[in-house]
Amino acid sequence: MGRLFGWNFRTGLMIGCALAIAIAAGFITYEKYDSNTLKRTLRRDAVYCGVSTGLPGFSSSDSNGNWSGFDVDFCRAIAAAIFDDPKKVKFVPLNAKERFTELSRRKVDVVARNSTWTMSRETEYALNFAGVSYYDGQGFMVPHARNITSALELDGSSVCVQSGTTTELNLGDYFRANNIKYEEKKFGKLEEVVSAYNSGQCNTLSADVSQLYALRLNLSKSGEHDILPDVISKEPLAPIVRQKDDDWYLIVKWTLYAMLNAEELGINSQNIDVALKSKKPDVMRFTGAEGAYGEQLNLSKDWALRIVKHVGNYGEVYDRNVGAGSKLGIPRGLNQLWTAGGIQYAPPIR
Amino acid sequence: MLRLTLHFSALLAALVLFADGVSAQPRPPRDVGDQPGLVPNEVDEELPPELKRQMVLYRTNEAPGTIIVHTSERFLYLIQPGGRALRYGIGVGRDGFQWQGMQKITRKMEWPDWTPPPEMIERQPYLPRWMAGGAGNPLGARAMYLGATVYRIHGTNLPQTIGSAVSSGCFRLVNPDVVDLYDRIPVGTKVIVRQQPEL
Repeated sequence: MGRLFGWNFRTGLMIGCALAIAIAAGFITYEKYDSNTLKRTLRRDAVYCGVSTGLPGFSSSDSNGNWSGFDVDFCRAIAAAIFDDPKKVKFVPLNAKERFTELSRRKVDVVARNSTWTMSRETEYALNFAGVSYYDGQGFMVPHARNITSALELDGSSVCVQSGTTTELNLGDYFRANNIKYEEKKFGKLEEVVSAYNSGQCNTLSADVSQLYALRLNLSKSGEHDILPDVISKEPLAPIVRQKDDDWYLIVKWTLYAMLNAEELGINSQNIDVALKSKKPDVMRFTGAEGAYGEQLNLSKDWALRIVKHVGNYGEVYDRNVGAGSKLGIPRGLNQLWTAGGIQYAPPIR
Repeated sequence: MLRLTLHFSALLAALVLFADGVSAQPRPPRDVGDQPGLVPNEVDEELPPELKRQMVLYRTNEAPGTIIVHTSERFLYLIQPGGRALRYGIGVGRDGFQWQGMQKITRKMEWPDWTPPPEMIERQPYLPRWMAGGAGNPLGARAMYLGATVYRIHGTNLPQTIGSAVSSGCFRLVNPDVVDLYDRIPVGTKVIVRQQPEL
């Protein structure tokens, strides 16, 4: 009897503990992951989008609180696909430290904040980077008078660089690998790097290419400096979502791919009407005239066309914010389509 | 005497031929009008930064020395070794007169003369019947002929038209750029013209 009771009691205790642990684990899991992002977004009637606190060309807000920029347009594109209204976005400025944790804590549902896709960021914070929206990388700026067109001609240069950064390490690696002799002038702050270059303390400045174009605008004679075409490091910038919500992940990922495919197909915000009449199968799949691609994303038939109609294709967004049509004037470079000199390549819609 | 009967006759022919059905959204051609005799100054020829001649990253299977023109971007690329290209800002053909394909440079001319065709004179009676090559010539400092077509890569006396779609299918560069390009490429250079795919 006693033995049986003991067994029963212990069993009961064990089952109870196991249940408690299971519930706790379930609760923690629930806390960390959920698969209701699209539902929640529809309920809130807005895409909650984490952006930078202000980076010209990528995301910045004017005095009236109107956001604009490359990353901003990406979130507007998601809103266009879901709501047919690019204004249904709530922008949440995030600093570099909090960008991943605030996404994990569901303060925002997507982060488009000039963030480099790395393995550890994806694994440590349980995130998914949804495809490379912008291929950035480290490059060089030199005075035009030096008449240099390639980083391999930088032998004997004195290079201004920010200390304690991967920029500094990449610089050393690249010059060593190519047997280029150089003198390094290190500064703690980026502003110091720029003013040292501006005052002629060095004849080369190294930073990420997108940064170099922004920095050049502030030089005393901005027209007298060249940014070399060479890119010596990988800084793939990508929008980010939480793991284990595949429906939401697919929407964010295919929003980017829709923008790229639109450019490749020749569909832009000015020729939507022509696209709708097209008899080309790939254009018809894009517009929703053929297939049920939108429905498979839990969106409408014309999800992709909505993006282009309200926000534009990838090239339009690039040009307007950071490219030839903007103050920055960054050449397409790596971000040109794979068919036109770059490496931007989207899987097809079919 | 070498006379360049310009491509304007072709433009008019094309106008008649493709008058309907070119584009569903016809945009009125921005006809800034030719202004023969106008001599561009250096300030005008100073392009905005994004249209300036510059070395850019460009991956392609085409050999260095090939010219690739992206009409929709308003850029001409001269392919260089090592995955890069020299990029020039250009003015390109109006909507409907844009074309694509492959050609070769068949002839090069310095300070080409200009003979506006009769159709053009009819439209703009103030134009000269013939104009010697020079700083005020609409063809600018250099002309490079594309195959047996009426199209050319040429200079301009209207530098402010770079970056827009105004010519009749030709590609125009500012004079300092067209001279630079002219000196870099021989007759026989392969020219690939790309534009947005048709819908």
